[in-house]
Amino acid sequence: MRRLLVMALVATSLVAACGADAGGSRQSSNPDAPLQVVTTTTVLTDFAAVIGGERVGIYGLLKPNVDPHDYEPAPADLDAIAKARVIVKNGVGLEEWLDDTIRSSGTKATVADASEGVTVRDLPAADRDAAHDHGDPHIWHDPRNATRMVTTIAAAFTAADPAGASVYAANLATYVAALRSLDTEIAADIDTLANKKLVTNHDAFGYFVDRYGLTFVGSIIPSFDTSADLSASDLRNLVTAIKAEGVKAVFSESSLPAKTAASIAADAGVKVVEGDDALYGDGLGPAGSDGATYLTMMRHNAQTIASSLR
Amino acid sequence: MTNALHVHDLCVTYDREVVLRDVHALLQPGDSVALIGPNGAGKSTFIKAILGLVPASSGFVEVLGTTPAKARPLVAYVPQIDHLDARFPISVQQVALMGRYRRIGWLRRPGRVDRAATLDALEQVGLADRANDSFGVLSGGQRQRVLIARAIAQDAKLLLLDEPFNGVDSVTQDVLIEVLGRLRAAGTAVVMATHDISVAHLACGHACLLNRHQVAFGRLDDALTADTLKATYGHHAVMLAEGTALLSTH
Amino acid sequence: MLGIIRFLTEPFAPAYMQRSLVISLLLAALSGVVGVVVQLRRLSFMTDALTHSVFPGIAIAFVAGESLFVGALIAGAVAATLLTFAARSTRIDQDAFMALVLASLFSIGVIVVSRHRSYSADLTTLLFGRVLAVDTADIITTAAVAVVALGVLVAIRKELLLRAFDETGAEAMGYSLLRIDLAVNLVVALVVVAAVRAVGTALVVALLITPAATARLLCSRLQSLMISAVAISALAAWLGLVISYDASVHHGIRLAAGATIVVVLTALFAVVAIAQALRTGMARRRTLAAVAT
Repeated sequence: MRRLLVMALVATSLVAACGADAGGSRQSSNPDAPLQVVTTTTVLTDFAAVIGGERVGIYGLLKPNVDPHDYEPAPADLDAIAKARVIVKNGVGLEEWLDDTIRSSGTKATVADASEGVTVRDLPAADRDAAHDHGDPHIWHDPRNATRMVTTIAAAFTAADPAGASVYAANLATYVAALRSLDTEIAADIDTLANKKLVTNHDAFGYFVDRYGLTFVGSIIPSFDTSADLSASDLRNLVTAIKAEGVKAVFSESSLPAKTAASIAADAGVKVVEGDDALYGDGLGPAGSDGATYLTMMRHNAQTIASSLR
Repeated sequence: MTNALHVHDLCVTYDREVVLRDVHALLQPGDSVALIGPNGAGKSTFIKAILGLVPASSGFVEVLGTTPAKARPLVAYVPQIDHLDARFPISVQQVALMGRYRRIGWLRRPGRVDRAATLDALEQVGLADRANDSFGVLSGGQRQRVLIARAIAQDAKLLLLDEPFNGVDSVTQDVLIEVLGRLRAAGTAVVMATHDISVAHLACGHACLLNRHQVAFGRLDDALTADTLKATYGHHAVMLAEGTALLSTH
Repeated sequence: MLGIIRFLTEPFAPAYMQRSLVISLLLAALSGVVGVVVQLRRLSFMTDALTHSVFPGIAIAFVAGESLFVGALIAGAVAATLLTFAARSTRIDQDAFMALVLASLFSIGVIVVSRHRSYSADLTTLLFGRVLAVDTADIITTAAVAVVALGVLVAIRKELLLRAFDETGAEAMGYSLLRIDLAVNLVVALVVVAAVRAVGTALVVALLITPAATARLLCSRLQSLMISAVAISALAAWLGLVISYDASVHHGIRLAAGATIVVVLTALFAVVAIAQALRTGMARRRTLAAVAT
């Protein structure tokens, strides 16, 4: 029996030794930076990088194409949270798992809620869950909200690292200007459309639709939980609505499978926009893609919608 | 003197089917009766009725002057060794000690007196030197003896044995007959289910023949005859010499 | 050698890993002992049915925002009682009944959770636990439950032994099998309650069954069985947490801690089983060779 135990231990340590120098682990973007920050969503990671520049080392908890609802913290994440001085979260109930995790890590970081000051949309009545009604968390799809978010982030960075105040202020000013041009650009593009009717993979684009005056006909995943399925009657209603309203295209989202969108499009006889042309609903895309930064992501979404509805 | 066992017109049904009827029996302390009958005849049912584990649908069972349930502390049941898992992680002494549990009671631990009584019981069946061995490493016959020791440790006034001589070695057979004789002499009554007619002659003074109903009950020589055996086993019984019979086991 | 020691101890520097270890070791001690009882009483399927039946209680408590422990406790008591009475009935087909109860109660639990917004993450938490997020209150509750459960077992240990070894004999002596079985099933339900935060309801079955099964291959005495089961479970807890930490921090690979512990438990069983088979094979060959000469 002793021999077996030793064998098990040796096997395990061999596995460990093999990988010890592989160095494939995720770390802060800049471990030596004076301000260590942890962010949740990819959008926030981008914002933090823009505002913080060289002064911050960022550890993003969520990778591109990972559903924030499904996320489960791992030891590396807990260690990063423990070392951080600022944690930036989206809020509006998007990261329900975060509170437990923060408490468990024993971190002394301050938590910055990026949704502070943002007017939160209500969820459609059907999706409201009595115990957890926070509203629609996809606040970043309106560039005016993004401006509010980065302002909050800059304030948090400045509070934790007063020495970098001027850097943060400068970065903030530059970025706010960029956000304003983005907003104007998108508004102009969408205004030229005759048919502004939108069907997407799920209800993530509420703020975008409100900001730019589009009409939201329905979504393929009716609730915010990406694992929920459409019922037969929901499907029928949606196809009827698409035909009745004369919707031109159904948009699939990058982080969700395109099958459901395709089948509805076939039923209703409309175009399906998917794959590389898909919209980014829940966050940014991977490095090198059209959705790698907030600005490129928003432009991609806007252009895709505009060109398909033209 | 209270009867050790008094059964009158016992009838037992299970799932609306009569599995045993017309059973009468009367045993004094120190008597021993052999329960004889083919498989399914109701021997186990009769034993369960004496233990109060199955209800009497008519008639009554009186054990040591009271109801079966109340008499249980003084009634020891010795199961067939085949019915117990030999691989069970338990020692010989632990098995024998079980006879003292009722006396020890819930929540209390066995004391020195209990251990002494257990060792004494094991001594009586010739297995005191195997007390710390695993129950499972013993032979079938030795395991049967340990179960007898458990019954001895219980200091019971009525012993119920289910096929105790089944497939045991001759040493065990001798020990069992000797122990049963000693217990009877001390006033313990014995009810023993068995297939073995010769053993019945050696160990018992009474016989009870069953085949879903009682064929006969009485002193051994009166109750155990060629005719009663035929009535019990049908045409599968052949009486050879005095005290032996050929029985087909079905 | 130093590298191995570091590998085995480095993960437990952060406080949250220490808490994970403490609760896992507590569960190892509890489930190791109860697991041996489950094995002796042949209650493996009943245990599986019980863990699935406790799930809706936990789900309801979770969705209502109440304490998971309380939900598990109530559901556990109800499920244990129901299953115990059913088991003593001769009129019910045991296998079919337990399967029916298991599937239907579990489905109710899933439905309850699915109406909640982030249901897949929640389901994962309830089924597989969140050992990295346990706090001191969880540890204290687990310890308290463990003390009660083990206390019950110690109190009735001789009657339990008798009932497990000789059912008819126990009845003959006048013991109520229903009461003893109810006590044991309630103890198993308590283990599920204790484990719900750390490893969840789906994995607690493994914690109960695998260490005892492995121990059975190695020992044959009751005391050694229990000590071995606890030791094996503790070793798996330690290694599982170490591997899960190392994978995450040094290799960026996500291995859910609770599930990793279960995989290590299974691996230990496999290693021991194979080793035993080889040993028996070699012994047999040696005997044959000896006989042949």
